[in-house]
Amino acid sequence: MVSALPVTFQGGVHPLQKLHEGKLPTKDVPVREYTADTVCIPMGMHLGAPSAPCVKAGDYVRLGQVIGEPVGGLGIPVHASVSGTVTDVGPRQQLNGPSSLCVTIENDHKDTWAEGLQALGDVETADPALIVPAVKAAGICGMGGACFPTHVKLTVREGQYCDTIILNGSECETHLTADYRLLLENPKNILDGLRAAMRALSVKRGVVAIEDNKPEAIALMRKAAQGREGVEVMELRTKYPQGGEKQLIRAVTGREVPQKKLPLDVHVIVLNVGTSAAIADAVTTGRPLISRITTVTGSVKEPANLRLRIGTAFRDAIDACGGYREAPGKITAGGAMTGLCVPGDAVSMTKATNGIVVYNMEDAKQLEESPCIRCGRCVEVCPAGLRPYLMKHDCDAGDLAAAEAHDVMDCIVCGCCSYACPARLWLTPSFKVAKDQIQAAKRGKA
Amino acid sequence: MELRVSLAPHIRTADSTRRLMLDVLIALIPASLAGVYFFGPNALMLLVLSTASAVLAEYVWQKLMKLPVRVNDLSAAVTGLLLGLNLPPQAPWWIAVAGSVVAVILVKQLFGGIGDNFMNPALAARAVLLASWPVHMTVYTLPTMWSGADAVTSATVLSGHPAGTMDLFLGNIPGCIGEVSKLAILLGLAYLLIRKTITWHVPVIFLGVTALLAWAMGAQGGFTFDGDPLAAILSGGVLFGAVFMATDYSTSPMTAKGQVVFAIGCGVIVSIIRAYGKYPEGVTYAILLMNIASPLIDRFMRPRVYGSPLKEEKA
Repeated sequence: MVSALPVTFQGGVHPLQKLHEGKLPTKDVPVREYTADTVCIPMGMHLGAPSAPCVKAGDYVRLGQVIGEPVGGLGIPVHASVSGTVTDVGPRQQLNGPSSLCVTIENDHKDTWAEGLQALGDVETADPALIVPAVKAAGICGMGGACFPTHVKLTVREGQYCDTIILNGSECETHLTADYRLLLENPKNILDGLRAAMRALSVKRGVVAIEDNKPEAIALMRKAAQGREGVEVMELRTKYPQGGEKQLIRAVTGREVPQKKLPLDVHVIVLNVGTSAAIADAVTTGRPLISRITTVTGSVKEPANLRLRIGTAFRDAIDACGGYREAPGKITAGGAMTGLCVPGDAVSMTKATNGIVVYNMEDAKQLEESPCIRCGRCVEVCPAGLRPYLMKHDCDAGDLAAAEAHDVMDCIVCGCCSYACPARLWLTPSFKVAKDQIQAAKRGKA
Repeated sequence: MELRVSLAPHIRTADSTRRLMLDVLIALIPASLAGVYFFGPNALMLLVLSTASAVLAEYVWQKLMKLPVRVNDLSAAVTGLLLGLNLPPQAPWWIAVAGSVVAVILVKQLFGGIGDNFMNPALAARAVLLASWPVHMTVYTLPTMWSGADAVTSATVLSGHPAGTMDLFLGNIPGCIGEVSKLAILLGLAYLLIRKTITWHVPVIFLGVTALLAWAMGAQGGFTFDGDPLAAILSGGVLFGAVFMATDYSTSPMTAKGQVVFAIGCGVIVSIIRAYGKYPEGVTYAILLMNIASPLIDRFMRPRVYGSPLKEEKA
């Protein structure tokens, strides 16, 4: 175990530093509600088997009503994010694939809430045993981008224990300000969620971790955290990927998650601040996760932070921000370092869509690979301590065994090496593909 | 609407290979100007010729071999200029051409081109020139300052030419074109550090070890510094080598740790050659030897993988 307590981690980069990480256009724009006329809600928004639709075309659904039942161990329910009439249940092209089962609802804009939504009450007095089931019933999954079902994360198995819950408010990705606005606009909710999670697992220490480029949020959060049992706010150095789970754990606790282990193996659970706020809503109001804050920015006319109903089409969100500023060349769900490209702007945002970033034709241009000049920058910036130049050589040669021997499975796919590479090598993409292939091969054998 | 789809990341740093090489060329401007100022038209001719022939050699080779032509990355220009700056100012024109062709074809392209060469092309070419035409490569002259007078042959400082610290620093001494003006080299170093083209590790440690050993070894062997550490790093080509040659990406270790070992090795070998070797100067061979050791250094000086067992846990 590493004893020294750093406020940062090894490696890392400062993307778009001169442009304030691309956050300037939206950082001071308060969150605005936007409700689309139609939502198309994918059943497979979380990691795990897609939910099973339990409504059919023509049904009238209320806001917060279950429209997809959980399937399998990692399953969570999906709820109607508007009230209105179901117009279609069928496959659509979505972020997670070309034919993703979706429920389309025509919004009647009445927002009639479903009946029977039960609040557990105040987070300090609610029955701790009911909190995790309430989180599952609310359909909450990691809202920082990972989409991992939160109730599973909050399940501590035999022989394990958790002594620290970290709320990730670092928002180290470029362009995104959704978490920042939430920190500013609803600190109470974030802390309520943290306290609920702490009480559910009888954890004594809760840490809200925020990068030091957000001093207003830190000050506000510190004030809000006064009098909250076991809760502290920690200021972290601004560096990408500070919000990487393993990097964050190292910075906050000084502990390292051993290779092939999970955060809980070092007694830590990390939740995104948005996830925490959703937990608070589930406990104090009984309402499921039906909307989230998404930063819509880049080449749009009026970049903004919108509270969108889950299942809102990218196109509608972009139109709500004045539409495209120039012809779009690329659109990502998430920031520029890890964002996922969308095949078209008709796809729906999900519970994990923290940002919609539009790139113009120029910025979308693909850079051509040139030979490695062995400058060592990829090694210098790798937060996992890997040697990307070697792994890239292995991947190009199709030698997955060699890549694995060079620890490609420890790659966190943060994008630092690709970002820093002067030869413009596609390092991170190669490692992502290699990791997927190795994992698939292992599953095949098992 | 046609959207481009690719895996993340979607942004890249502005520092491309070409940009880094351009930075090195910019950093070499002061040393080039100083060399031409002190040594006159022949020095200018050598620099232009070595740079042009290196670029041309690479272009012709890549055309002939049907390889993608990459002279736009400016690495051949850097190699050519570095070679030129490492020539004695009165060397004949064909030395520059021969050196550049050896550097680009023999040392760089035959081993796979940019990034795949295991020795610094300019330095290896200089070693070839030294072995092939020792007289042309070891005749040094006093600065002529464009006076038009015939250049006067002189020993270098390391071979006994007396020089004050200020002359050593400004460059008013006999020596290779680029190595004489320490002021100009330091300007280049400052630029490279500000632009983050290189890190401080190699130049600072290389020079530090050289100075330390000069002080520690005193007036032993062939040493002419009588233990003066400042004179040791202001004389000969060690400053130029530490800033521009030992920092070559392809032929130095990949990690900062490895570069520290590499730089210490360079400093030690230079000091030993200077003190006990037959040559008055050993920067070329010190760096070349450490170039060859770089893959070995990389093998041992690797970063620690996050979450991997610590040493005490392994035991």
